[in-house]
Amino acid sequence: MKKNHTILHSILIAGFLILSCNKEIQDSSAVAYLPSNLDNNAGTWKPYILANTSEVAVADPKPVSDPEYLKELDSLKNFIAPRVSPENKAAIKYWGAGAVYRWNEIARELAAKYNLPPASNAEGKYPAPDAANPLADPKFPFANPPYTARALAYLCVAQYDALITAWNYKFKFNRKAPYKNDLSIQPLLPPTDLPSYPSEAAVVAAASYTVLIAMFPGEVPYLDSKLAECKNASVWAAMNTPSDISAGDALGKAVAAKVMTKAKTDGMAAANNQTLTTGMIEAAKGRGIQNPWLSQEAPLRPPMLPNYGAVLTWNFDKAALVSMRPPIPYVVGSPEFEKDLNELSYIQKNQTREQARIANFWSDGIGTPTPPAHWHRIAANAGIDSKFSEVRMARTLALLGTTEMDAGVACWDTKFYYYTPRPQQFGLKTSIGLPNFPSYTSGHATFSSAAATILGYLFPDQATEFIRLANEINESRIFGLIHYRIDCEMGFEHGKKIGIHAIARGKTDGSGQ
Amino acid sequence: MSRYYLPLFLMMGMLIGLQNSVPAQMPNDAIYMNKNTICVMAAYGQNSWDEYWENTLKRENLNIGTNTTQMYMVMVAAGITDKLNLLAGLPYVQTKNSAGNLLGQKGLQDLSATLKYKFFENHGLSLHGALGGSIPMSNYIPDFLPMSIGIGSTTLTGRIIANYKHHSGIYITLHGGYTGRNNINIDRDTYQAYDRVYNTSEVAIPNTADGGINLGYLKNGIQATLFMEKFDCIGGDAIRRNDMPFPTNNMVSNNVGAFLKYQPSHFGINGRIAYVTSGQNVGQALSFMAGILYQFSIKGESVSVSN
Repeated sequence: MKKNHTILHSILIAGFLILSCNKEIQDSSAVAYLPSNLDNNAGTWKPYILANTSEVAVADPKPVSDPEYLKELDSLKNFIAPRVSPENKAAIKYWGAGAVYRWNEIARELAAKYNLPPASNAEGKYPAPDAANPLADPKFPFANPPYTARALAYLCVAQYDALITAWNYKFKFNRKAPYKNDLSIQPLLPPTDLPSYPSEAAVVAAASYTVLIAMFPGEVPYLDSKLAECKNASVWAAMNTPSDISAGDALGKAVAAKVMTKAKTDGMAAANNQTLTTGMIEAAKGRGIQNPWLSQEAPLRPPMLPNYGAVLTWNFDKAALVSMRPPIPYVVGSPEFEKDLNELSYIQKNQTREQARIANFWSDGIGTPTPPAHWHRIAANAGIDSKFSEVRMARTLALLGTTEMDAGVACWDTKFYYYTPRPQQFGLKTSIGLPNFPSYTSGHATFSSAAATILGYLFPDQATEFIRLANEINESRIFGLIHYRIDCEMGFEHGKKIGIHAIARGKTDGSGQ
Repeated sequence: MSRYYLPLFLMMGMLIGLQNSVPAQMPNDAIYMNKNTICVMAAYGQNSWDEYWENTLKRENLNIGTNTTQMYMVMVAAGITDKLNLLAGLPYVQTKNSAGNLLGQKGLQDLSATLKYKFFENHGLSLHGALGGSIPMSNYIPDFLPMSIGIGSTTLTGRIIANYKHHSGIYITLHGGYTGRNNINIDRDTYQAYDRVYNTSEVAIPNTADGGINLGYLKNGIQATLFMEKFDCIGGDAIRRNDMPFPTNNMVSNNVGAFLKYQPSHFGINGRIAYVTSGQNVGQALSFMAGILYQFSIKGESVSVSN
């Protein structure tokens, strides 16, 4: 009897230990760092949308001897510093990783939140998301890979054009940071020699905000709070005075407004033109595709953005897009096609846990930030590891962002040019979920190979690793049973060409890389 | 989506799944094997649904059709003493959909074990406690729902059981339990849950609470029971509009069912049926199970079951 009680007692104690263990998830989170190089000449770098870095004017700052500025310094020291709360400090720590880094992360998070396909209604139709009513069912946008690739491209371009403009004015006006003008002010982030007017954090915040409220119109209250927090954190940390912030805010908004003017006319408005698909299918049949793609969903779902391939690209023109388009894939029934299909049938029967893991790791499907955003995350973390300045981080992500949008456009052009069937049209299942658009070429392969190519140029010491990842991603689509090998191999070749166009842009942007 | 509960049921003896039907007794009843008596059961069960609750919205999904889980189970109940029993079970599970293209999954699921102890008994009234746990027995994929065979969490359950048995054989049982579920790791290093993105492969799984009532008859080798049960996650998020389920979901279900057993001698048979009457983030599952029992004594003592 006593023995039994002892056993129970031991189990109770063990149980208490398990039940009381902390469930809290520890995210990896970037922290503030001193850039290895301030990139003082970034004001001379080449913009994407602006004609030059003086196109948008910034008002002259008050001299550091001006009473108004001295009053700002006094306020930082005697009013703000004593009132910095623990919540303020958490915000300072969070934004200290860099405004470009954090706004990219915010955009990826919004992409995941909105990456849900509309449900069918009682009539068996899929209502289109409505930008004017973004929080109704279905929510706007459906942040699928093409949508997200484009949203991130405009975000990164706005950040970059705004920041190189800010750099131009920073070194023109050369107003030092508050703690350099008043040595008794203690900054709460690593001090820098970077001139503080206009504030780079405010420039990035305002530019990002302007793009993101257009891309995610249901998130205005959330983005308002992030905008305010980002700007305030710079003041709480004594990195900027309010006049640095307001100049940055105005600049960021003005540049992003110009960027969004281009966005409105890039062809995205017609990307979901479903009336074109009949003609596309006929054209594909004319090219020798006998079994065109058919939605495998019930009710039949219209394909994702069939005319996205007509959206304007960044780093090459339409003629180049056509000349790079991969050749026709193996047609159904050919020995090569049968070989690829048999490979998938074999994997379906014998999928190893490691194959499933790789397929899951890179799946980036519904409810995730999407494949292009996965590469943004990889690039942003590489930029942190390399201690990039804010402006070099922006350049890195703008080169990647435009590359990924170009990859999306060129891949979608290919997909709807050939309109080829998915393996599921021949009885295959999938362990990751089936995208609702034609098979050839693989979007993952194109996004990844293009990303690995441009990132290999930006981070030469990691080029081999990026290519390894891109190859693993290629295999992941085969392991997940949703692409034939030819889709991945040709997408990979295609992505490489797209990445090389981006490298050409990078080499001539004045950054000296 | 009741299958998501299976690991829980295993260790809690919940009545929605099938694993609870441990040969002569369950973690949530007041039935004991006598000292040195062992009962082994082999059972087949299945569980299927064609409608589920997406958060609170009840819906069908033409790309799933009917989702079916099949289970092959071995279970053991052993009398350590007349008042202390050990219960253990291990299922092999496989899943499939009747429509769409999601690949079915299969494999050994979670090993469960429970110690049940009788604290007190007087004039047919008794009070019991049970402590149990479960642990995944294979490296299955926990977040490919609704195809995954389990959610991959290691669990620990504490339970209290109150019972009254009349000499006519009629009995009533009330039981309540709380289950701690460990965080899991998924194949991805980023996921969205609780309306945000986590940049890690670690996923927090909500703990659970359950309670129920059994009304039955047990005498002369015959047991017949009707039951009602409620199962709740403590926290968790909802399946988003038209999204797939995820292990963090707040799965809630209310269930009714019946259990029958006939054991005239060493050999016996049992069967069980259950239905989810309402829920959230689960399938409206109908489940059944049938098992063959073999009961024996390891020290020549008489084979009987005490209540």
